[in-house]
Amino acid sequence: MKKLIAGMGLLMLGMTTQSRGQGMMDGFMRGQRKASLAITASQETFDSYYVNTTETRDPNLGTVTTQALNAYGVYGLDYDLDFIVSASYARTEASAGYVPKQEGFQDIYGALRWEAFDFKFGEKARLAWLFALGYQMPLQNYVSDGLVTLGRGSRNIDGRTMLHFKGSWFFITAQYGYIRRGQVTLDRVINYYDPAQVNPNAGSTINVPDVTEGILRAGITTKHLYLDGWVQRQIPYSTGTDIAPGVPFPTNAVGFTRAGTTLYLPLVKKFGLTGTYSTTLDGRNTGKSTRLSGGLIIGI
Amino acid sequence: MKNYKQIVFVCALALSLAGCKEPAINEGILPLYEPATVDAGGGNWQTIVLTSGAEVSVPAPLAVTSTSYQNELAELKNTLYSIDPAKSTSVNYWGTGGVVRWNQIARLLVSKYNLAPTYNSPTSQFSDPQAARLFALLSVAQYDALVVAWRAKYQYNRPSILRQDVTPRIPIADVPSYPSEDAAIAEVSCRVLAYFFPSEATWLQSQAADHKQSRIWAGANVASDVKAGEELAVPVATKVLTRAQSDRFSQATDPGNTWQAKRTAAPYDQKWTSLALPAEAPLLPLAGNITTWYNATTIAQSVPAAPALTTSAPFQQALAEVRTLSDSRTRDQYRIATAWADGAGTYTAVGHWNRLAEEQISYARQNELRAARSYALLNRTLQDVTTACWGQKYQYFVPRPSQGDANIKTVSPIPNYPSYPSVRSAYASAATSILLYLFPSESIALNRQAGEATLAPLYAGTQYRFSVEAGTKWGNGISSLAIAQAKSDGAN
Repeated sequence: MKKLIAGMGLLMLGMTTQSRGQGMMDGFMRGQRKASLAITASQETFDSYYVNTTETRDPNLGTVTTQALNAYGVYGLDYDLDFIVSASYARTEASAGYVPKQEGFQDIYGALRWEAFDFKFGEKARLAWLFALGYQMPLQNYVSDGLVTLGRGSRNIDGRTMLHFKGSWFFITAQYGYIRRGQVTLDRVINYYDPAQVNPNAGSTINVPDVTEGILRAGITTKHLYLDGWVQRQIPYSTGTDIAPGVPFPTNAVGFTRAGTTLYLPLVKKFGLTGTYSTTLDGRNTGKSTRLSGGLIIGI
Repeated sequence: MKNYKQIVFVCALALSLAGCKEPAINEGILPLYEPATVDAGGGNWQTIVLTSGAEVSVPAPLAVTSTSYQNELAELKNTLYSIDPAKSTSVNYWGTGGVVRWNQIARLLVSKYNLAPTYNSPTSQFSDPQAARLFALLSVAQYDALVVAWRAKYQYNRPSILRQDVTPRIPIADVPSYPSEDAAIAEVSCRVLAYFFPSEATWLQSQAADHKQSRIWAGANVASDVKAGEELAVPVATKVLTRAQSDRFSQATDPGNTWQAKRTAAPYDQKWTSLALPAEAPLLPLAGNITTWYNATTIAQSVPAAPALTTSAPFQQALAEVRTLSDSRTRDQYRIATAWADGAGTYTAVGHWNRLAEEQISYARQNELRAARSYALLNRTLQDVTTACWGQKYQYFVPRPSQGDANIKTVSPIPNYPSYPSVRSAYASAATSILLYLFPSESIALNRQAGEATLAPLYAGTQYRFSVEAGTKWGNGISSLAIAQAKSDGAN
């Protein structure tokens, strides 16, 4: 069981493209001076997207597909403090029209996770209260303003708290986070219409709307299997624009509800396989995407 | 270790409280400046739609010794020291320059209504030809109204407020105060813009009223100055809008679909087709027939040569170059292409050059009349460039590069009209020539901008090099014509 749980913590990898590695942090601590490394490949597709909250399709775009190689590592600095890092290399393209594909490194994400309190109930049940603080930044100057992009291009600070209950084979984790997104400098001067802000000389620097995020995850962990199901809801905290022709995408207020499942199977010794599936239930200014990923996890 | 954890904990909590409402864009602050010159002879400058500044008569003001004027002055002094923060904001907002502010408003409205054709709404657009016409008519109206105002100012010589023991809240030009140039700008701009955006008329009127009133709050004009400025603008706006109604733009959409017959008859081997899904009719097929500001015959004399046929080696080389650029586009080329794409949702390429002109006007501290002249010169040229290029586009119906090679990917959406010649490149050369004429000391920055803007359509993958070169050459030719005329308008 220890080995199995130690292999977990890969759940952030379920988020590489749309949410750029934010959120999806689990409640399982790695353990002092122990580490895990996960390498996965993922594919995410959407053929419809939300303009504000209205679902639409664009025949001049077709299906947008993002494929990524993701690396994720976690190291236990102490029994109750983990350091987490993740990064991805991605390629995204549209099946129709003439929008060029984008390829390159996305963002790097680093976080500290602290198990602040740990309450035991009987022999096997325990409730943990955790906090995490993360930082995310682009690894290269990718295009962030368009229909097909690698990411939003902002530098973000991510704070979250989690309540994690674990029985003998069952667990449930609830978490709430706030993602503070920094400014982005686009390739063009902004043309954004707001009668209350009549000055088109603002240059190319814009504010990317922040979001709040809630995630509920429940599942089972046994000696031979880890399986969970989760629901993630991201809500724009600060106002932004809604996707319209030519409106710079990073200023859009993005929100969504996604659900998914994660499977982990230990193979031999410290090696295991993982797979995830997720789909978008509703959204605002984002693709209605479906995502599959799979890969190898090494516990050290 | 425990201390570090507590720091993390505290930071996470602080972060959760750190969310605050941010504007989508951080608004810049424009400088307030006293104009560098007063241009006392501005009333004699050559007008554009009016026969001269004397065509509109402005009634004589009451003498400064009259009781009525002295009461106005006393009221202004009382107002000056009792305005609230909201009025102060208004004063500062309009204090950056009426011509510049109304040009900004025009740009914002263009960007609001410059909607891309979408799958559900394929025809809703406010793009280059409409924008070029709007900016030209707005600038001409502002300029002619200001020539009339300047003429009356120095005809009646009511002393500037600066000379009447009043210190305005903002820097103002030391020109005779009657009639108010700001009121003339506000009224004429409001009327012209309401013609283009009737659904914004109420908002525009509120902006105009605020602009006029701000001059009294600022201590720059008394009420009778404002009233006279407002009144002189009405016949000017009427005359400009009369021209607008007869410039043949109403037929530019080609309601009879004559473009299809023109396409069949076009002297070119492989003709343009729409690359949109589903295919759409091209944008404003008859916009090449619009009345020009400068001599149409002279413009036509410098028309670019016919493009090489698609089967020719030069064309195939040009197509191959676009493909190579598309396959190996650098990040900097991507940036340049995006920066000058000026597509849907933006204030268009013409608006882009208006914004760059605004920077130069501000650096040069031009007064309202001179700023209006700069815009009128620039925007008449850019509208004629649009008209000239549009005419040639529908002469040959040269296809976009992606029609010849579907693997060519474009940074910006492919414009839904024929390729040759490149109007964006023509804008770049024409606008740069005009701005270099007006602001010769800024040649380094202007030439750098022109270099990027000219090649941007090639980097974007939407134009061939020969199309860019033809547009550049024609833009230079049209701007030479405009500059030659500007040299004799009395402003030099």
